[in-house]
Amino acid sequence: MIGNQLALIRREIWEHRSIYVTPIAIAVIVSLVSLAGMVTVSAFDKEVNMALFGASNIAGDAERQAALTAFFLGTSWIFLFALAILITFYTLDSLYAERKDKSILFWRSLPITDAETVVSKLLTALFVLPLVTVAVIILTHLVNLVITSGWVIVKGGNAAHLIWGSVPLFDNWAAALIVTVASALWMSPLIGWFLFVSAFTKRSPLLMAFMPLIIIPIIEWIFFRSKIFASAVFGRGEMIPLFRETDIEHFFDEDRMVVNEEVVRLLAHIDVGKFLLSPSVWIGLVVCGLFATAAIYVRRYRDDS
Amino acid sequence: MTSLVTARGVSKNYGKICAVDNVSFDIDKGKIMGLIGPNGAGKTTLLKAMLGLTDCDGDLSVLGLNPFRQRKELMRNICFIADVAVLPRWIRVSQLLDFVESMHPNFSREKAEALLANTKVNARRDARVRELSKGMVTQLHLAIIAAIDARLLVLDEPTLGLDIIFRKEFYANLLSDYFDEERTILVTTHQVEEIENILTDIMFINEGRIILDASMDSLGDEYVELLTSGEKAEHARNIGPIAERDVFGKKIMLFEKPDRARLEPLGELHTPSVADLFVAKVKGATA
Repeated sequence: MIGNQLALIRREIWEHRSIYVTPIAIAVIVSLVSLAGMVTVSAFDKEVNMALFGASNIAGDAERQAALTAFFLGTSWIFLFALAILITFYTLDSLYAERKDKSILFWRSLPITDAETVVSKLLTALFVLPLVTVAVIILTHLVNLVITSGWVIVKGGNAAHLIWGSVPLFDNWAAALIVTVASALWMSPLIGWFLFVSAFTKRSPLLMAFMPLIIIPIIEWIFFRSKIFASAVFGRGEMIPLFRETDIEHFFDEDRMVVNEEVVRLLAHIDVGKFLLSPSVWIGLVVCGLFATAAIYVRRYRDDS
Repeated sequence: MTSLVTARGVSKNYGKICAVDNVSFDIDKGKIMGLIGPNGAGKTTLLKAMLGLTDCDGDLSVLGLNPFRQRKELMRNICFIADVAVLPRWIRVSQLLDFVESMHPNFSREKAEALLANTKVNARRDARVRELSKGMVTQLHLAIIAAIDARLLVLDEPTLGLDIIFRKEFYANLLSDYFDEERTILVTTHQVEEIENILTDIMFINEGRIILDASMDSLGDEYVELLTSGEKAEHARNIGPIAERDVFGKKIMLFEKPDRARLEPLGELHTPSVADLFVAKVKGATA
């Protein structure tokens, strides 16, 4: 059973190379941009004489830590945004392409149940894509730190202290892992819906997936003057019950450029217990499960002849 | 003789259209059964029902299993080639072998490798299926199928779109690499003449009904073609042929359950080809 799932998931990675190509492409862009940024900053600003993060004009260790964390946080959001797009296209394609090219007849000639196939695609969307993205985020951090260290060393700074001693690596990585996986689980109802659309639609899965999401709110507004559906679907991302009450965007006081060391720790802002105990997380997973079950049913019972 | 497939009163309706209409038949172990029918006769629907790809009414048992409810168990012992185009186009040859090896308990990697060693595919392990020619894709698919220790092989138009050399090679390989008395093959095709010499049994289907179910050996006893002309043709026509056609000014008449003693004086007797028999039966059934 587990062996089958691993083989099926490996097949998904073979088929959808964008699972790793996309995050790697973003990693390359982020690294190039940060390198270019360093060149620019150190060329034009006499004050910042030791590259961005090793800059001597950043007051103390906590502030340097905050600057590095803010940089990582900022680049991680780009990966998360790309991941959302990647998961959308992956799930919409996953049960549609095999019907379009008729390879479904080959897959179904092997001793695999429809449930196993659909579950492998769901697991790929919920876990494999996020985990690959986290791995590439970590890789990007390392590459960027190495580039920055090189820059600091060239400028005569102590990279071991200014860079590697300042950055809370494991804290940042654990936070990236938790936020990425939790986000995928939190958005699972939408992932389930995409999977279902991909199983039943005869054409244009993207259109079929988003049309109801746009039309239903319009109808709701016309008849009930309410926005319940729209806020449940499009507002869901912001409502993730993963963060503590502190506003993560303002964890570092821009006016005074001083930060409390405790605030810089990303994990201190994340509350995994709250996430796991939140009913809306579990209701979301149930909705996702229902859509996946419907997808299994459609794949099993549909007959295109 | 063990029956691998047993159908009793099997029907399949699509809305008001009845694709398969109350058919009953058996397919025994060690046979090569040809399922022949015009387009839209219900061949593919019947195959799909046997492969558990679609639900149907009536009693249908394949290898003692209900195909639709026990599809996974069934697929361990059945192989099918639906059409040459169905191998996923994005997959690499080596990946395909790896995948089938990890998913199929009855697949022998060694056998597949040995079969591929004699083909053009061998040198192109890293190629994607879309980069291979149609003939090579068929060789690859057949090598995979032949390396699976399955009891029943179902082929639905397996050589569609292939040139004549590949078609001949396909059936030759099928017999040499796959078939033995423990295995059974069910094949549908339009090109009857290419397979009639390898079949042991034949089934005609038309408008969802089976209009002929016979062994190839019995065809010679059951049906006879008379080549005749002139006055003799008039006599022969009175005996009641099921079909008649003109060839170079002579008449060819096809008789069912013939009285050879009466026909022999009227001209030359031959065993009809499957294609001619098929045309006669379908026209007879439609008329």
